[in-house]
Amino acid sequence: MSEEASCQSEEWLTRALAGDAAAFGMLVRTHQRSVFSLALRMVSDRQKAEDLAQEVFLQLHRNLAAIESGAHLAFWLRKVTLNRSIDRLRREPKLEAMPLDAADGVVSEAEDADPLLARRLSTLVAQLPAAPRAVLLLRYQEDLDPTEIARTLGMSVNTVKSHLKRSLSLLRERFADTARSST
Amino acid sequence: MSNDLDNDLRAALRPVDPGERFTQSVLARVATESTRSARAPKLHTTTLRWTSVALAISLVMGIVVAHQWQVRRTQRGLEARQQLIQALQLTGEKLDLAYRVVNDEQPTQSAAEPGA
Repeated sequence: MSEEASCQSEEWLTRALAGDAAAFGMLVRTHQRSVFSLALRMVSDRQKAEDLAQEVFLQLHRNLAAIESGAHLAFWLRKVTLNRSIDRLRREPKLEAMPLDAADGVVSEAEDADPLLARRLSTLVAQLPAAPRAVLLLRYQEDLDPTEIARTLGMSVNTVKSHLKRSLSLLRERFADTARSST
Repeated sequence: MSNDLDNDLRAALRPVDPGERFTQSVLARVATESTRSARAPKLHTTTLRWTSVALAISLVMGIVVAHQWQVRRTQRGLEARQQLIQALQLTGEKLDLAYRVVNDEQPTQSAAEPGA
């Protein structure tokens, strides 16, 4: 999160805390992409991800007084979203075994990305177990470094690095397998 | 697949915007929750106030009933004591009378004995 965006978030935070609904709306608009995408790529179901993301923002509204800064807000949102997603996956284990077709809507709409490649990678990421998937999402979706990921997920930096290493090699292997089987 | 898996993953995992409909849903839910929580304290305060009043009334009534019971018990005790004193007085009087009768009869008997 840039310094300017963080300052803007802090201003909206102060106003939202004073009861300004429009300011809270701006906070939601700023962070909804990150929260929704994390939820979507964790639970692999658009409707469930929307519900989960909305609950995260409702929880934020109830806990606005506990948020200290714009950076803390982004950290808090990621942490709560991933904790809620992991809880949901524990309660509904079938969500974790997502079928390949269910990856629709999980793929980014970036114009410069190869849609087929993006779809395959998204599907493979969705098949990873919850903890390494969360690590991978924080690394590549949120662009966090291992120390920040460790802080967000309450893991050691070594565990984060090991998850990243294993997940990347697993993705390489699985991608090679799918590429071979499709030719 | 390009050699740079990092870049491919970054491209594949770019955040997806859920759209303005999502924002509006969140704001509507926040508004509903705020209205509900604004109503809840009022209900809570009213309930609390009535509960306090009911408790106070119950306490006062309890004290009054206990006091009345205590007064009645003391009164009954006093009445019983009075009746006992009265019964003892009557018994005493009767015993006195019997004693006097017995004493009055004894000299007559002792006077009749020597002449028999």
